[in-house]
Amino acid sequence: MKQTNAHMERQIMNKRKRVFSVQEKKNPKAVFAKRYVSHLVPALKKINMNKPSSQINSKSFEQTVQHEVDMALALSAQEFAWSRFLQHKLLSSPHEDPSYSSKILETSSCKQDGKEGAEIKKKLKELQKLVPGGEEMNMEEILSEVGSYIVCLELQMIVLKSLVQDNIS
Amino acid sequence: MLESLVSLESMSLSSMDVSVLERLKWLQQQQQQVLSTTNASPELLQFHGTNNDELLQNTFSHFQMLGSGFGPNYSMGFGPSHEAMDGCISRTNSCQMDQADTVGVMLKNSEENITISLKNKRKSEVKTREEEKTEKKIKVEAETELNMKVKSNLSNTEASSETSKQKSKAASENQKLDYIHVRARRGQATDRHSLAERARREKISKKMKYLQDLVPGCNKVTGRAGMLDEIINYVQSLQRQVEFLSMKLAVLNPELELAMEDLSVKQFQAYFTNLPVVVASKPSLMVDAPLFPLDQQGSLDLSVINPNQATTIEAPSASWETQSQSLYNTSSLGFQY
Repeated sequence: MKQTNAHMERQIMNKRKRVFSVQEKKNPKAVFAKRYVSHLVPALKKINMNKPSSQINSKSFEQTVQHEVDMALALSAQEFAWSRFLQHKLLSSPHEDPSYSSKILETSSCKQDGKEGAEIKKKLKELQKLVPGGEEMNMEEILSEVGSYIVCLELQMIVLKSLVQDNIS
Repeated sequence: MLESLVSLESMSLSSMDVSVLERLKWLQQQQQQVLSTTNASPELLQFHGTNNDELLQNTFSHFQMLGSGFGPNYSMGFGPSHEAMDGCISRTNSCQMDQADTVGVMLKNSEENITISLKNKRKSEVKTREEEKTEKKIKVEAETELNMKVKSNLSNTEASSETSKQKSKAASENQKLDYIHVRARRGQATDRHSLAERARREKISKKMKYLQDLVPGCNKVTGRAGMLDEIINYVQSLQRQVEFLSMKLAVLNPELELAMEDLSVKQFQAYFTNLPVVVASKPSLMVDAPLFPLDQQGSLDLSVINPNQATTIEAPSASWETQSQSLYNTSSLGFQY
């Protein structure tokens, strides 16, 4: 009995290891980083090739880089509302849209004290502007989207940092 | 053989309600028909073999409520057959298996029926009183399970009647079914708005707590306004940093091609493990998961990467398992409500 147990355990461990090797691909942070880099690096190369280095400080260069960075972010994390919104915005028009009135936020009734309620609403409006697609979300949605957005921003930072360090060293 | 088993039942369970036995017989016949038609019957039986303990316990708990003597008989019946389930299922044990199976399949069907009835609001074709009872009990059990999660958020000052009302509301919210099954209770009509408000506020406070964990420095601040402030500042700073880094990278671009090939998995690993931020909602740390070779045009040296993978795979698999499990259990990058 002991032998069979041990054997079964080993089998299970092996299976789990095997499962790991397949599931590792789904490690969300790795997937994100991989996608991000795979989009950003070729895009940056293309930018550099198309434009002479004298234009590096121009606004259009900045904008293009920003565009590509945002695009990389949006493509790397497609599960979230903000990323879909960002992708949409980037693909549809290069110009910035006039900010919507955050009417949805006003209609959502927060039962707070008078002062605090107003403050919070103000802060939420600010948050709406920061998070892509925020203007169209109500309070609950914003809170959930902010979390994933923060995580993706942090991942983005890590990837960029490592890329920069690789370049420097 | 079936008849002999049935007669054994009837002899030992004189105290049992005869109608129950009859129903069970009828169900067995039904399930046998079902089993005979299904092509995957051996796999089905094996599946039930592995899940037998669960089903056994369920059936015990349910049937004990219906009849006292049923339990021991089942244990007798299942004893020998359980061992036979380890390997392939032999024909000689098929009758006992059928018995176990019928219960298991019945239970499964009743569970399916719950979801179906909850979804489509129509009753299943086969529905005995037993099934109804088991359904309700399963439903109650499922709800109580869900309520355990929700209850932790409920304030303690609420009266019991209120908690029961909120239970139904919260359970109906948390059940991830298309059709929300709400039980009508007395006096709930007028409270529906307040219930909805309360549930909404609970959700929001849950999310704020999560964000508190996510954003560094939020623990010191109290109150929603302060926390939102922190969050806004944090997001802004992150965005600025990203902008700065990306510009830097773009400027350094010419050397990028070289860099990509030198990019080793270990580097990314180090960064990922140093992340103070926890992705999963459960308090688990980052996994030392190696990156897979990046699909770049400049092909990476796979031989470099593989040893890294090997070493990390040999890491203690137990802890890794729990960590990765929790990672995978949460939706891809964190949130699951």
